[in-house]
Amino acid sequence: MKIAVVVQRYGQAINGGAELHARYVAEHLAKSAQVDVLTTCATDYVTWRNELPPGTEQVNGIPVRRFRVKRERDPRVFARRSDRVFENRHSLGDELDWLDAEGPTSPALVGYIGRHASEYDFCLFFSYRYYHAFHGARAASARAILVPTAERDQAIGLSIFPPLFRSVRALMYNSPEERAMIQAVSANHDVPGVVVGIGSDVPQNPQPTRFRQKYNLRGPFAVYVGRIDQNKGCTELFEFFQGYLRDPSSRLTLVLIGKELLPIPAHPRIRHLGFVGDTDKFDAMAGADLLLMPSYFESLSMVALEAWALGKPVLANGKCDVLKGQCIRSNAGLYYESYAEFHETLRAIEQNRWLAGTLGRNGRQFFRDHYDWPVIERKYFDMFDRLKRDTPARAIDPLPGWFARRRRGAPAAADVLEKLPTGPVLDTSSGQSRRRA
Amino acid sequence: MADFNIRSDSVNVEQIMEQIRGRIREKRGVDYTEQQIRELAAVKLEKFLDPKGVRSDLLEQYRKVQPTYEPELPNYEFEESTIYDTHRGLLRFIRKLLNPLLKLFFNPNKFVQALHIQARLNTIHTEREAARRATDRLTYELVHNLVVETTRLAIEMKNLKMRAESLASRLEFNERRARALESVVVYKADDGEAPASPRSSSAPPAAAARPASSATAAPAQSGQLPASTGNAAEGPGQRSRRRRRRRGRRSGGSAAGIMSGQSAQPQPGAPEASGPAGHDATNEDSDVTPTEDLGQFTGAEAHPSEPVARPADTARDPSKNDPETQ
Repeated sequence: MKIAVVVQRYGQAINGGAELHARYVAEHLAKSAQVDVLTTCATDYVTWRNELPPGTEQVNGIPVRRFRVKRERDPRVFARRSDRVFENRHSLGDELDWLDAEGPTSPALVGYIGRHASEYDFCLFFSYRYYHAFHGARAASARAILVPTAERDQAIGLSIFPPLFRSVRALMYNSPEERAMIQAVSANHDVPGVVVGIGSDVPQNPQPTRFRQKYNLRGPFAVYVGRIDQNKGCTELFEFFQGYLRDPSSRLTLVLIGKELLPIPAHPRIRHLGFVGDTDKFDAMAGADLLLMPSYFESLSMVALEAWALGKPVLANGKCDVLKGQCIRSNAGLYYESYAEFHETLRAIEQNRWLAGTLGRNGRQFFRDHYDWPVIERKYFDMFDRLKRDTPARAIDPLPGWFARRRRGAPAAADVLEKLPTGPVLDTSSGQSRRRA
Repeated sequence: MADFNIRSDSVNVEQIMEQIRGRIREKRGVDYTEQQIRELAAVKLEKFLDPKGVRSDLLEQYRKVQPTYEPELPNYEFEESTIYDTHRGLLRFIRKLLNPLLKLFFNPNKFVQALHIQARLNTIHTEREAARRATDRLTYELVHNLVVETTRLAIEMKNLKMRAESLASRLEFNERRARALESVVVYKADDGEAPASPRSSSAPPAAAARPASSATAAPAQSGQLPASTGNAAEGPGQRSRRRRRRRGRRSGGSAAGIMSGQSAQPQPGAPEASGPAGHDATNEDSDVTPTEDLGQFTGAEAHPSEPVARPADTARDPSKNDPETQ
């Protein structure tokens, strides 16, 4: 079996969520299939500047074919077009212009996919919202499997994407919430889809003591791993945690791991370690009392899964449907939606050892049941087998014509997003959910 | 959270969250979400704040005075050559050629200067306007946050006031209960020390109502039976006499008064009378169950230290009302 993994950036040093997801999937599928990675020469997701040479190279034994990006992203043009399609009534042409401005605009990559799609059994496209996935999936629709990595942001409300969701061969969702959202926006219930997510190569014997000695850490601590950014909810986290520190019964220290894009409060019990390697990261998570996950928007939190794999409870932002749903389904984490809840839940996990231990054990079991690599690989190959048996249900809709592109009939994406159901999906077996419209 | 209530071996996160939210509601009194607080700040401000002090539609008014759009102010550049400008080179040349002739009729430099100054003024105004808008946005945000915070504080203050009232009433109740319990203890001590102390029917009502210190000291002074004899077999009518004495003391003053009276005016023999003798007397009095006493004394009406006078109790002759003696 020959598989193409198509992703916007690819490389060992690229740690973005979807990109890492794609690399892990490619490397694990490569054990049982021939995998090619098709990607761009860009490494920066803001500019899409060509920084790597075009052509083929090997990354961890996987052949990676890179294509040049035609033009870098102009932030002003992108912002203006985003404003137009997200906030105002607009045309399909405006949306295509927005996609073009977002990038990575690589007609060479799309052209290659169009010419060579027949050489592959299936093409896995990562991140629905980028140029390569939209045009690439259209070029190879009979073999296209989409891994949407969709978050609850305004891009999901654009009118160009529902036909894409309906016309690919299958979708590999990250969470039941993501599936419910995409089904609500595109009514693609007849398209095969499965909630897969992603596994993680968690070391068998992490050494918390080594981490404590290396960074001179004493006492219990909560860990946050990820970009320290306002978009990740870190501002709120700092505010809440500083409030929690005023509780005389609290002993937790907050340990932050990741690149700093936000001023970090100066407090002896808030420690920022910067970017650390995987060994230190897993040692830290194994030594922590819990993992804090303050992000508002996640399609799947890999860090949370890693914490669960290590038997640690998670305290997540309940305003993120996916995280809340995961906490409830796994019974392995608590969530907060206000400072009072943050304080009480954090206190509960810190002071009730039994609760923390039970949540951690549940998390480990949840990870083994749903996110261990053999489970993930099996889901992918089951889907490939199923698609091989079935014939493609429908051909992809053609792009709108000249007049249709200019008709201002598309609603503002923000309005579409507002009407989508919210809340976690709690009953995944029956397809029922407790979502509210 | 040491008092976390989990009874099963497995945890249910939703259930735990419900418990946590319940605890928060208990603590805060009313659980307002951020959205509710904002709605309250926008709509029902007058309910929480002094309407004379803060206008409920403050934010609305503030928003109204802000322009809903930011018009581009027109401006131009005016230099000496502007009035002769044209994209046609020939025409520009002719105008320059005829310029001296024009100046023969009037002085265009004055116009040029005036319009140049005006253009500069326009630029300065535009810059100031932009700066003012930026400040206005900050001010609006500040006012908005202040109103939200004020509302939040007002709600919190209301809740705290209610809690304080609740605590005060509970404290008052506990004080009354404590006083009642103290009086039970004193009564039992007294009861044993002077089983035979006669509170004669000829005593005036005022004597029954006098300070308990003298009432308790009297038996000790008179050298009546020691308390250790309280375990001896009771004769007929002894129990009823005790009840009568109890009634008399009940109307005589508070337990605190009794105790303070003892300490203030020590009488010879009094410590012995209220010491171990009291303990024995309690044992002796075991036929009167403590629960009955508690039930009798914890009620506000029944408590002897209540300010409400009960002349019927204090003035009556106990022997006349005692069914055993009738």
